[in-house]
Order: sequence, then structure tokens, then C-alpha cells
Amino acid sequence: MVLLRHLKSLQARLLTLLLMLVTLVWLGAAGFIWADASDELDELLDGHLAQSAALLIVQQAGQGNEASRADKGDEEDAPLADAPSLHKYAPRVAFQVFHEGQLTLRSANAGTAPMARKTRGFSTVQLSDHSDWRVFAAQGSEGDIQVFVGERIDSRDAILWAVLKGVLMPLLYALPLLAVVGWLAVRNGLAPLRQLSQALAQRQPNALEPVVLNDLPSEVEPVVHALNALFERIQAMVASERRFTADAAHELRTPIAAIRTQAQVALGAGSDNAQRDHALHCTLAACDRATHLVEQLLTLSRLESSGDGAPVGRVDVAALVQRVAADLALTALARAQELSLDAPGKAYIQADEMLTGVLVRNLLDNALRYSPDGARVDVSVTCDGKQVQLRVEDSGAGLSEAEVARLGERFYRVLGSDKTGSGLGWSIVRRIAAVYQARVSVGRSERLGGLCVRVCWAAQSARS
Amino acid sequence: MRILLAEDDAILGDGLRAGLRQQGFQVDWVRDGLAAEREISTGDYQAAVLDLGLPQKDGLDVLQALRAKRIATPVLVLTARDTVPERIKGLDLGADDYVLKPVDLYELGARLRSLVRRAHGQIQDVLTCGALQLNPAARQVSFNNEPVALSTREFDLLHALMLAQGRILSREQLEQQLYSWGQEVESNAVEVHIHHLRKKLRADLIQTVRGVGYTLQNASPAT
Repeated sequence: MVLLRHLKSLQARLLTLLLMLVTLVWLGAAGFIWADASDELDELLDGHLAQSAALLIVQQAGQGNEASRADKGDEEDAPLADAPSLHKYAPRVAFQVFHEGQLTLRSANAGTAPMARKTRGFSTVQLSDHSDWRVFAAQGSEGDIQVFVGERIDSRDAILWAVLKGVLMPLLYALPLLAVVGWLAVRNGLAPLRQLSQALAQRQPNALEPVVLNDLPSEVEPVVHALNALFERIQAMVASERRFTADAAHELRTPIAAIRTQAQVALGAGSDNAQRDHALHCTLAACDRATHLVEQLLTLSRLESSGDGAPVGRVDVAALVQRVAADLALTALARAQELSLDAPGKAYIQADEMLTGVLVRNLLDNALRYSPDGARVDVSVTCDGKQVQLRVEDSGAGLSEAEVARLGERFYRVLGSDKTGSGLGWSIVRRIAAVYQARVSVGRSERLGGLCVRVCWAAQSARS
Repeated sequence: MRILLAEDDAILGDGLRAGLRQQGFQVDWVRDGLAAEREISTGDYQAAVLDLGLPQKDGLDVLQALRAKRIATPVLVLTARDTVPERIKGLDLGADDYVLKPVDLYELGARLRSLVRRAHGQIQDVLTCGALQLNPAARQVSFNNEPVALSTREFDLLHALMLAQGRILSREQLEQQLYSWGQEVESNAVEVHIHHLRKKLRADLIQTVRGVGYTLQNASPAT
């Protein structure tokens, strides 16, 4: 398997695995056949040896009786006879027949000395010519006849080899054939993958439409589905990015037009100092507004690109609101607005401090910006153990239902006679709230008559 | 020349009003679509500068409503909507000119003068009536090739009369041309200015049609 991992190509891996398995199975089968066949063969041939020995004993016993009858006449020793060799296998088998210690019959290849030391049963011996023999020794019933029947062991091996060759040779021929057929099959099976990679390679970088391939096998289908889902997400992201850029460019035109126009008015004011001063002040105000717009745009853009991977920590909303309110109090004072904060206890939530600060600042800034001079803005933070609620109420004109519905549309500005918002504050508030699963609701303030905005987060216990 | 400016952005609107006034336009400024439609419909304005992203009623809707009511006041659309389809839509809905923010104040002035000139069938930028010549861009008047020094009001009055050659303008119509909102109209101002014009140019140049108004005679060169 380690070896397989080194192979980069799926095709090579599959093929190697397949051929390895086939060889292994075949070799296993051959081993089994070898063991089984050699057992059977040994039994069979040992049987033959025993049979031959029995025959020789019976035959020698017959001759012995005749000879003993004849012996009574001339007392001559029976002559030594060499059995003729009748078959090409004959040199592989040998036998000796002794009668009362005298060698009376033998095959041509058998020596004169007894083939084995054992006088009964099977034994394996090495003869003088260094060949291994399987020898069966037997004695006649009266003990005067001793017979040795032997067979060369390598002849048994030759038979076994012949049997095994029958099993192994086809494998040798079949392996290359199997490799070719396997290669073709795997190649054919992987065709959809190649098709997919081709379809992807031929794509323009900005082509994000889904991949359409016909007759996909069920293994490749999930890949294509996942790819298409990815394309869809990227497309949505690119579209949102494009819309954002277009919106931003569009939205910057007005502040720039204001700067240019006021600068030209200042240039053309001639001796009218009051007009020139006014135009220059307006130019500065327009620059400030453009800066604010760019900052808001950058915040929103960062929020949108960071997605849901925004950092999380423990934030005390009460303390945070206090800091933001302190920052904005001076501006409120300059417009005689009354900003009051009611945040008695700690109110911890799980969020990022910086982003939550941006959210709070936008809410408070909106309330102050769109309320008239001398208006009241009440901010409260409450924590009931389960959720933390931030409430911003003002005594401004409030919003109609239609206007509330359009809040949070990028760059939507409620008509304010001389208010210079970016139209992005709500988009930012909504976006940050969404990142931390906070609920934002907008309604009419019962106490102050203006707008009432509530943001609810899930509370985090103070201990953890 | 009295212009209606419809722009919801406070700083830009303030600047446009001041800049156009520097160029001799009488400018009234409204900040929402409904007011723009209402004011342009009065016919008191010789042209209008219309932002499209107006609260309460979108500029394009205003334009469409005006043209449906057969109000022909030239409208210059001044907007941040910069795509070609948006421009085409604006012009097709009845805009006489389509200008993208930011715009040069003097170019805006020139475009407005051009719109007014064309609306009155004038071809040249200099208005001519016999020996009398009026250059709106340079705000200069000459009679028998001699420059004539006129006050702002006298110039505007003469400009209105020259644009309406062959027609009679009532005193009220002339007053509306001369004064933007918030400017005090003296009760006999038009009579006084006409009197001065007659003295500076020629006595019979501006004719009084009793009970109806004033009209410009074809001023043949002095003999």
C-alpha cells in the first residue's frame, strides 16, 4: 500500500493492485496444488512401490520352490539375472531381490549391495551415484526373500513440476493479457474524470457557470455537484463584490461633485468674502463626508470579505456603549442634544469588541445625526441573564413603515434636510448583527416619539 | 434666466445654487421629487437641473410625469447613475441633457444656456433683434455695435424679452423671470427696469400693450 501511494496515477494504482492480487491468488493456488499433489503422488507411487515389491516376492517365492526342487539335484546356486529395461522410465526405477542373502534378481541400474539398510518399509537413501531414492523394502513370509524396490525422488519432482507447469504457465501468458485488458478497463472507467478535468481546463478564468457533463457515474457525480456548488458560491461572491464596487463608485460621485462645485464657487466668489468663506467651509464638510463614506465602505467591505470567520471574544456591551457614548457626547452637546445612558450592570456577549464597537457607534451616530438639535437620545443596556439588549431611542421624527422597510438597503438615505449620512450605517449594523446572530428590530419609541432600535444578543455568563 | 435645481444633497445643492447664481442664473432649490415636479409644472422656469436619486419621487418618475403632462421645460439630468443603459433611459424619458456628477460649474451653466436657447428656437448663442445683440454667456449687450452697460435685472429682463420675440410677456411673467424665491419684488420693479432699458437703448424698443404686457419691437438700426 505504501508502494501504491507513490503512484500518482489512479490508473497505475488500480492496475498494479489488480495484477498484484491476481498473481498472489494464482501463486496461492499453485502452492496449494503443489502440496496436495505431492501428497497424493507420494501415496500413489509408494503404493506402486509396495505393489511391485509384493509381486517380486511372490515371483521369487515361486522360482525359489522350483529351484529348491532343482537344487536337490545339482545343488547349484541360482544364477544372478538382470531384468531387461523395457521403458524410458526404467532407469528411474530399480529393484533388487535377495534370496537367502544372495542377490538373485536386479534391475540393470541397481548395484549389488542392498539399496537400503532398513529391511522393512519405506526409507530415503542416497546411492553411490549421489542420487536420492525412495526405497521400499519387504521380506517374504519365510524371511528368506528380501526385496528392495526403489524409485528416484527427482522423478517424483519432475511429475510434480509437470503438474504445476500446467497451472503456472497459463498465468504467465495471462498476466500481460490481463494487464492490457485491465489497463483498458480502468482507462475507460476513469474517462469521466478525464472529461471533467478537460472541461475545467478549458474554462475561462471568469467562467463560473455550472459544469454540465452527461452520463456521469455515481462516483463522479458528487464531485461535480460539489464543484458546481462552489462555482455558485463564488459567482454570488463576485456578483456581490461587483455590485459593491459599482455602488461605491456611484456613491462617491455625489460627495466629489459637492467638493468640486464648492471649490469652484469659492474660486468664482471674487470680492465676496462671505460667499468664499461659506464655500470653503462647505468644501471641508464635503471632504469630511467623503472620508466618512470611504471609511464606512471599507468597514463594510472588510465585513463582507471576512464572512463569518470574524473573531470572537468576550465583550461587555455596557462598558462598550459607555465608551462610544463618551466619544459622541461632545458632538451631541454642540447641537444641544441630550444623550443619556442607562447601563447599570455588566452585560457580556460573545463577539468581537472592535466590530461590536462599530455597530454601537453607528446606531448612536444615526440617532444623533438624524435627530434635530436639542433632541433627546436615550441609550440603555440591560441583561436578564439570557440575553443582552441594547436600546437606542430618540425624540426625532421617526420613520414611516416604508422607510423602515428600506433601511439597510445599501446607500438608502432617509430624507434629512441637511444630514450627510453615507447610507451605509444600517448595512453595517445589519451585517455585524448577522455575524454574531444578534437580532435587530426597529420601531417607534413610546416614550420619546422618535425611532427605537433594539439589538439583542445571547448573553454570556460573567464567570466563564 | 430662472432655473429650478432639484438636488437632495445639502452641500452639493448649496454649491450648485451659489455657482449658478455667480453666472447670473436665478436659482430656486428643491430637495425632493414631489417638490421638483410641482415647481417645474408651474412653467416659471426656463430650465431645470434634476438629480435622479431624489427622495419621495425618483427623478426619472418626475421627468416622465412632466412629459406626460406636456410640460416642455428643458430638463438637464445631473446624476451619479453612470451606466449607458441608465443614460439612454434618462434621455428617452425626456431629459434634454444627461450630465454625470461631478460636473464643472461653468460647463453646467453653458449647457443650461444652450438648452434654453434651443428651447426658444435660437441657433446662435448670441441673441439678435435688429441692431440689438445680447450675449447670455458673457452677459453683454450691444446696440448698433456699441456696448451698453446694464444692471443684472435690466439684463435679465431684456434677455427674457429677446427670447420671447414676437410674443407678449405679462408683468407677472417678467417678475417670475427676474426673481428667485426669497427675493423681495418691489411693486413697480418691472416698470422701473423697462423705463431704464428704454432710456439706455431706444424709447420705442420695448412696447407696452396696455393691460396685457410688454413685447420687443424689431429694433432696426438707428438712422
